[in-house]
Amino acid sequence: MNRRNFLKTAALTAIATAAASHWNFAMAEGASSIFTLAYPTSFPDLDPATSFSNDGAVLANVYEGLTRYIPATDTTEARIDPLLATSWDVSADGKTWTFTLRDGVKFHDGSPLTSQAVKGSIERTKKIGGGASFIWGPVSSIETPEPLKVVFVLSEPQPLDLIASAGFAAWIYAPSAHDKEASWFNAGNDAGTGAFKISRYEPGQRAVLDRVEGYWGKVPDGAFQTISFEIVEDATLAQNMIESGQADWTYSLPSENLEALKSNADLNVVVNPSFETLFGLYNVKRAPLDKVKVRLALSLAFPYDDVIAAGTSGFGTRAKGVVPAGIWGHDANAPIPKTDLEAAKALLAEEGIEPGLELVMTYSTSQAIEAVAGELWKANLETLGITLKLQPMAWEAQWQLGKSNPEAAQDIFVMFWWPTFVTPYDYLFNLFHSEEKPNFNLGYYSNPEVDAKIDEAAKLSGTDRARAEALFIEAQRKIIEDAAAIFMLDQPNVHVIRADIKGYADNPAYGHIAFVNDLSQ
Amino acid sequence: MKKLLQRLGWPGTVALAIVLLFVLVALFAPWIAPYPLQGAGGPNVVAKLSPPSADYWLGTDHLGRDILSRIAYGTRVSLTNGILIVAFSLLIGLPIGLAAGYFGGWVDEALMRGTDVFLAFPALLLAVLMAAALGPGFLNSVIAVAVTWWPWYARLARAEVLVLRGQPYVEAAQLSGVSHWRIILRHILPATGRPLTVQAALDVGPALLTAAALSFLGLGVLPPTADWGQMVDAGRKFFPARWWYSAMPGLTIFVIALAFSVLGDALRERKGGTARASA
Repeated sequence: MNRRNFLKTAALTAIATAAASHWNFAMAEGASSIFTLAYPTSFPDLDPATSFSNDGAVLANVYEGLTRYIPATDTTEARIDPLLATSWDVSADGKTWTFTLRDGVKFHDGSPLTSQAVKGSIERTKKIGGGASFIWGPVSSIETPEPLKVVFVLSEPQPLDLIASAGFAAWIYAPSAHDKEASWFNAGNDAGTGAFKISRYEPGQRAVLDRVEGYWGKVPDGAFQTISFEIVEDATLAQNMIESGQADWTYSLPSENLEALKSNADLNVVVNPSFETLFGLYNVKRAPLDKVKVRLALSLAFPYDDVIAAGTSGFGTRAKGVVPAGIWGHDANAPIPKTDLEAAKALLAEEGIEPGLELVMTYSTSQAIEAVAGELWKANLETLGITLKLQPMAWEAQWQLGKSNPEAAQDIFVMFWWPTFVTPYDYLFNLFHSEEKPNFNLGYYSNPEVDAKIDEAAKLSGTDRARAEALFIEAQRKIIEDAAAIFMLDQPNVHVIRADIKGYADNPAYGHIAFVNDLSQ
Repeated sequence: MKKLLQRLGWPGTVALAIVLLFVLVALFAPWIAPYPLQGAGGPNVVAKLSPPSADYWLGTDHLGRDILSRIAYGTRVSLTNGILIVAFSLLIGLPIGLAAGYFGGWVDEALMRGTDVFLAFPALLLAVLMAAALGPGFLNSVIAVAVTWWPWYARLARAEVLVLRGQPYVEAAQLSGVSHWRIILRHILPATGRPLTVQAALDVGPALLTAAALSFLGLGVLPPTADWGQMVDAGRKFFPARWWYSAMPGLTIFVIALAFSVLGDALRERKGGTARASA
């Protein structure tokens, strides 16, 4: 341990001690009233217009959007629930959306929720143009015919109910804050409608939220009065805190430690599919990966089960195409290949691939699981006489290389993808729709049939979701048939929560967020 | 032989034995390693993160590979790394030092001020910058460290030459009209050779330590090649619950760095001269 690390550890211990004493102090007033989260990252931006990071964990308890996305489960379909809007309608052409607002909702400053406030919030978000504000790109005008009725006119058909459920840039905030600067929000002020308001904010250390009087929504018996986000970057410390009861919720502990935590009766290890999927895009513009059979052979040589076991301790799941489970447009019965080295060998022989072939796989240095996938795949490919050269790069450099000349770029581009708002279009359009200049379609795949299906499905997303879903699945099947990419795994979301907390459900549409109002003790 | 051991004293002798042992391990890794396939990178997922046991003396890593075998294979990378760094540094530093010392005057000024520029940077920082610019890879990390290493040899060579230049046999050669190149190559280089080789041999230790630091930062060899620094980094995630993953390669680095250091001290004390503190 060098000096710096020693100091860091000492500092963390000090923080932990401080956090513990803070908690003990609160306990004297009534233990059930505080929900403590050991959060692994800080919250760089609390402005609801531009926040596009883990700040969402705080903001989601303070602000609300018009709708909320509820993911599919084994028994129920994915749906969009009303939140600040109680109902909505779309015109036949999918371009005019009318939302009816909930009556009697008040912002934390006491002003009522009105169509003017909705219009003003979204216009401020659009005008600043930071973070995820691009989701409002298709909105050409917002009208406010009645205090509780807001009409969006779009330039093209888009599923605005889904867009409004986004975890970023879709928050509605009080008119009094519409002329405020980001610095006002980052000083710990807020203007939301949520069940909690920010009462104390120490950047890089903690945020404390207190319950507001007169929240419009349902509050369970034994609900928490206070939320305390303690920023704990050290995973070992976070684990100590959750084990000792100093924290009620945490995530990003090493997956290898989770087995042990599962057997701890005080803890509940909640494993869910996330919307993050790991895949490799084959460079279809360069020999020999321009041949479908060669690409398929590589996919057949991928050790799917081993990578899930070694990379995620078995918590991950097989990816079935590019749209992960829980999102509409997920293809549960996709014809995905199984590891089969014999079949791979036969395909390579058919295409006349001689041993000695060398392929370059690029991946991001910051993603340990990508290195695991690469190393295990490399071992399998070696038995087929193929050398897989693993090339870890800083993400920016990896992306730049991918965007340059496809002839000179990598053979396989490995990355994670997750959507800004929940739509299969986000995955399929960005990764597999033809691009004149490569941006995220870094396998340079181009198939007019797939393009047509994606475009058509996008148009129908707002008006005929069933038909759109069918088209998205058809497009994915074609992509699998063409072996345009190797779909490695769907990343699990693992959250550890104290066993005495009731009402917890992870919602992968809102990454690493606990909706504390739903919880009780 | 006996004379050498006497000269080294017992700590130096032990250190020498350790260094020689590592050289043997590097040469015969495929025969020494209990699991040569895993040492070379072959995964063994079923046994992942097993603690030290009769099957796996030092435990296994996150892909179930035997850590003892990985360390044995890593010895090859680390020693080659150290030797190449020193060789590259000599290749750059020696000619510059010889020229500066022999010609003196503005040649000396120009060359040594250029050398000072490199010395002005903290060594590890410069190496990290170079490695980041060149990208990860075995040869790149060697170049990155060598760039920070050669100025020391330039200085050492220059200091030796300054002494030799005034020797009567050099002056005699000059007076009888022998060309500069011939004097440098035939009369000066052989005499500077010995102290420089001793220094270079001892520098392999610190050099491989720097290379391990680079690969710890993800700027060294590419996976699945085994490398001590990389192993320490990869195991950090699992520390302290699975301590062996980081601790075993870390301990290896510690032992070899210490051995080189003790050996160097033993040799230096005997020589009675002062050598530079290694970076």
